[in-house]
Amino acid sequence: MVTVALQQTINGVVFGSLYVLVALGLTLIYGVLVQINFAHADVVTIGAFAAYFFTFAFGGNYLISIGVALMVGAALGWVVNAAIFAPLRERGSELLPLIATIGVSILLQNAMLLWFGPIPYAFDSPYSNQVIRLWGGTFITWQNVIIVVVSTLTIVLLYAFMRFTITGKALRAVAQDRETAGLMGINPDQLIMLTFVIASALAGMSGAMLGPILVLTPFAGTTVIVKAFAIVIIGGFGNVEGTIIAGLAVGLIESYTTQLINPGLTDIVVFTLLLLMLALRPTGLIAEKREENV
Amino acid sequence: MSSDAHPASAVRPERGWIARRGWRVGIVVLIAVLPLVFQDSYWRTNLIVCSINIMLAIGLDFILGYAGQLNLGHSAFYGIGAYASTLLITKLGVPFWVAFVLAVVLSGTAGMALSIFAVRLRGHYLAIASLAFAVIVHQVLLNWISLTQGPLGIYGIKPPPEIALPGLPPISFSDPSNMFYLVAGFAFLFYLLLDQFVRSPIGETLTAVREDEVSASSFGINCAGWKVFAFGIGSALAGAAGAFYASFVGTLVPDAFIITESFTVLAMVIVGGVGTLIGPAWGAILLTLLPELLREFGDLRLVLYGAALTLVVLFVPGGMVQAMQILRTRIGRLLAAADGGMRP
Repeated sequence: MVTVALQQTINGVVFGSLYVLVALGLTLIYGVLVQINFAHADVVTIGAFAAYFFTFAFGGNYLISIGVALMVGAALGWVVNAAIFAPLRERGSELLPLIATIGVSILLQNAMLLWFGPIPYAFDSPYSNQVIRLWGGTFITWQNVIIVVVSTLTIVLLYAFMRFTITGKALRAVAQDRETAGLMGINPDQLIMLTFVIASALAGMSGAMLGPILVLTPFAGTTVIVKAFAIVIIGGFGNVEGTIIAGLAVGLIESYTTQLINPGLTDIVVFTLLLLMLALRPTGLIAEKREENV
Repeated sequence: MSSDAHPASAVRPERGWIARRGWRVGIVVLIAVLPLVFQDSYWRTNLIVCSINIMLAIGLDFILGYAGQLNLGHSAFYGIGAYASTLLITKLGVPFWVAFVLAVVLSGTAGMALSIFAVRLRGHYLAIASLAFAVIVHQVLLNWISLTQGPLGIYGIKPPPEIALPGLPPISFSDPSNMFYLVAGFAFLFYLLLDQFVRSPIGETLTAVREDEVSASSFGINCAGWKVFAFGIGSALAGAAGAFYASFVGTLVPDAFIITESFTVLAMVIVGGVGTLIGPAWGAILLTLLPELLREFGDLRLVLYGAALTLVVLFVPGGMVQAMQILRTRIGRLLAAADGGMRP
């Protein structure tokens, strides 16, 4: 029993850290723009496909493919912001950008379906079959070690960037009050673009790491993104610390539900928790002074 | 929500009785004639799907366009209506029309419950809460196998029972043209009902709640109550659409009510023109028929569908209704210019 619990904890942390990477992107974008980006899901999927083709079609190294997916994601983020969010910003509607990104998402998913087909791709990372045996019969694959290490490093770097650099400070200033930040000589347009590029780069690289542990189809990102929305809400929209805690919590809850109750019920458990959270504590785990949407 | 998404709510000048009421007669004639024009079952099927989608789209627009509630969970109410009516008929032997009414009431109640639950939530929080509700409903339909048979689905659902009027041959709804009359008739009825709501003080009250809740409450409007009302009506219509869908298609699988179905209905509302009733009805017709007409493009049609949705939001956020208005003023200006040219 202890072994099973430990094993599920390891699996939960692996998935949780990837959920955190995806959800952090959403929450960063929400922080500066107060907008939801549905196309984030497809950045994850395209990142996964970019890594797949880099490794298998061009014989590249898997670890470098994570970097490739990061670059592809960053480029996509630039395009989505330039094409959708920047033109719609002055209209100040919360509905229009959301629907436009749903349109982009339908477009990208079906374009991928056209090119890559509906049959799942076998994305076997060379590290998926290398197992490290741990105490009491539990084990972890090298792939999962890579996932946890790369995600943790990325999250720490991002956190340090937001806390300790001038650009990070400017980003936080734009998130708090865009107009006043503009008066202080900060160019909000550039920083919003930077946020989009960072957020989408995170989504792209998490796609590269999710590819080998998920079923890789054109719709792979969608299953992750709905959970990422739940995580963003549970952690508090725009709240980085809350998102990290909520992401790991959702990963763990999922993996315990799979083991102890029924694998089919994971989504029901996670989303019921989300609705409870919205009812009881709509500001998220860590309350922030952002009351206008609640 | 800002007012820019509702450019079509301008006041229209008074017109004669024929112009004001005549369109209803026109629609009735159109409904009567359509199955006679389209004899093959493929197009008759499309007509029925159009009518079901009109019910879904005007219901969502009542919630989204008039009450300003960002509802991404419309597929859930659609699914509740479909499964509730079917299970009442097959498991409990309830007659079709009783099951239909109960399914509509149940979907409406579910919508009101979600709205009461989410009454403190606005904007994006409501969007995610309704999305979560839709995911939960879909997963329950998938996993409650003893009741819904899960992903295997329910087969052999019967069409609505025959109606036997004295002195006439019985009307059977396994005939697609009769089924079309039934579903389109209901869609038209629901349209008239919402049209009455929207033109009455209820419409103005809802608009006030949508545009500025604080000043609406200062006039003594019970904002929460009206939001719950709009949610109830809109989701009840989705329930009716679901009950008709089940009895028409004859098969129910949970994946028919997956969350992307909410996005499809949302696209109909937006492409048609959010905040108007005629717009979403046109949007439902266009987005149902367009993929069928584009079938020769194969999978590319859904890529075009996504592109169309994005481009409409970027360039004509008022949808087809706004596009028609722009076109009308341009033509009017051209005619005026031509007039001026002839009479110097």
